[in-house]
Amino acid sequence: MSTTPVIEVERLNVHYGDFHAVEDLSFHVLRGELYALLGTNGAGKTSTLETVEGHRTATSGAVRVFGQSPGDRAAVRPRMGIMLQDSGFTPDLTVAESVRLIGTLTRRADSVDRVLDVVDLTRKAGTKVAQLSGGEKRRLDFATAVYGTPELIFLDEPTTGLDIQSRDALWSAVDRMRENGTTVVLTTHYLEEAQQHADRIGLMHRGTLHREGTVAELTRTLPSVIRFSLPTPAPEPPLRAAREGDDRYLVETFGLQKDMHVLLSWAEDHGLELRELEAGPTRLDDVFRAIGDS
Amino acid sequence: MLPIALSELAQIFRNRSVLITSFVMPIAVSAFFIHQHDVFAEIGSLGYIAAIVMFTVCAFGLYASSVTTLAARRQNLFLKRLRSTAAGDAEILTGLVLPVVVIALVQVTAIMAVLAAVTTAPDNVPLLVAAVLATAVMMVGLGLATAGLTNSPEHAQVTTLPVCLGVVAVASWVGISGTEDFTLLKRLLPGGSATELVVNAWNGGVAVTDSLLLLAPTLAWVVVAATLAARLFRWEPRR
Repeated sequence: MSTTPVIEVERLNVHYGDFHAVEDLSFHVLRGELYALLGTNGAGKTSTLETVEGHRTATSGAVRVFGQSPGDRAAVRPRMGIMLQDSGFTPDLTVAESVRLIGTLTRRADSVDRVLDVVDLTRKAGTKVAQLSGGEKRRLDFATAVYGTPELIFLDEPTTGLDIQSRDALWSAVDRMRENGTTVVLTTHYLEEAQQHADRIGLMHRGTLHREGTVAELTRTLPSVIRFSLPTPAPEPPLRAAREGDDRYLVETFGLQKDMHVLLSWAEDHGLELRELEAGPTRLDDVFRAIGDS
Repeated sequence: MLPIALSELAQIFRNRSVLITSFVMPIAVSAFFIHQHDVFAEIGSLGYIAAIVMFTVCAFGLYASSVTTLAARRQNLFLKRLRSTAAGDAEILTGLVLPVVVIALVQVTAIMAVLAAVTTAPDNVPLLVAAVLATAVMMVGLGLATAGLTNSPEHAQVTTLPVCLGVVAVASWVGISGTEDFTLLKRLLPGGSATELVVNAWNGGVAVTDSLLLLAPTLAWVVVAATLAARLFRWEPRR
């Protein structure tokens, strides 16, 4: 991954009248990086994304894409593909016609057949958009975004409505593009996808960037959790175990492996069974919940 | 621009209801006027028939179709989709309305050619062409402005009525009664001076320089419509 920023956002503010959707937001995306912009509902993700894409004008602050204003469509758009959150295709055009039209307007060269093959819509090439399912429309949307293999693609909720095979196929296509250096900006409500694919994640909350970093950097700020139940009566367990119910315990720890060893040894020594034992590293959704609760 | 225009053309011919209401109906009405040309020539003149035919096509074909198309493309986010490409705003709008403009101009030309064939030829063809083109530009401008106030294709059936009925009514008023009374009012109303120009171009008997001055109010309406469109036109649905 290069250290050259493809996207630079400095002190961005987006206001709608008195409502401040985005406040003083700064971040950058490096060339070849997959940056996930996540957030609670109403966090300002869409306003941020649309401003970076050039669909919206910033109230104040600076946004540069490839070193240029994203509003300069003729200069910037041939280098970027955008997968919108809503499809935005006309019902009376066929799949192939839709890809050809949007692809031509991107000013990038590619073959409609190739792109339809990538999203497995070759058999639907002559089908009108009105007759596509929701998942097929998302794949069509992805096809127009990757037409001509742009240097930068925006994926706004790319897998919403897709079945598991289509999700896997989409991420395989994204991975292949990334191998060729494509930069990806992702928003999604599927946190496991962000956790699995993102190089860095920006977590937005109430219009600001609450936290930013790799998955490891974000999750290490919260403790891992061990949950278990004990038969009654039972001696008091070791560690700082908080009761969640009469016989249910919760341990929060930054040393999961060590504390698991202590707990299992204690249970072994006392001849106890740790029922319904659950333990795992902190997940992104734990971080997300912590932000939502703050 | 051309790819957008070609895709719009394809959609017009695939959408039967748009094809019938916007393009077949104006031709049917125009055919009626030509068939009954003796009656309408007696009420007004041949120039009046030419004017009413032109406004019928430009209002119900060009104007109403432009508003409906733009509202539909905005409602299903196709405008936003087009703006996610490298195409500029002017290129997008031109591509979207070009087919209906071309179809309307072909219709007006064909209908007037038939009228000339079954009656007498217009006195001043270049002046007639100028009147038709100015009217088409005015109706496109009004279409862009009205599209800003129109939320959906269904809503367009309501929002387009005032202009459609208004310009046809003005064309009838000016075409039948002339502009000797209420001259200024008739010329300043949208379609009034264009009607007088068409009547003069077809019937003759008025100096060309006097007739050319009638282009000014029509072009002023183009400026008004463009200003309104710049203020009112939206690329995305209201949230």
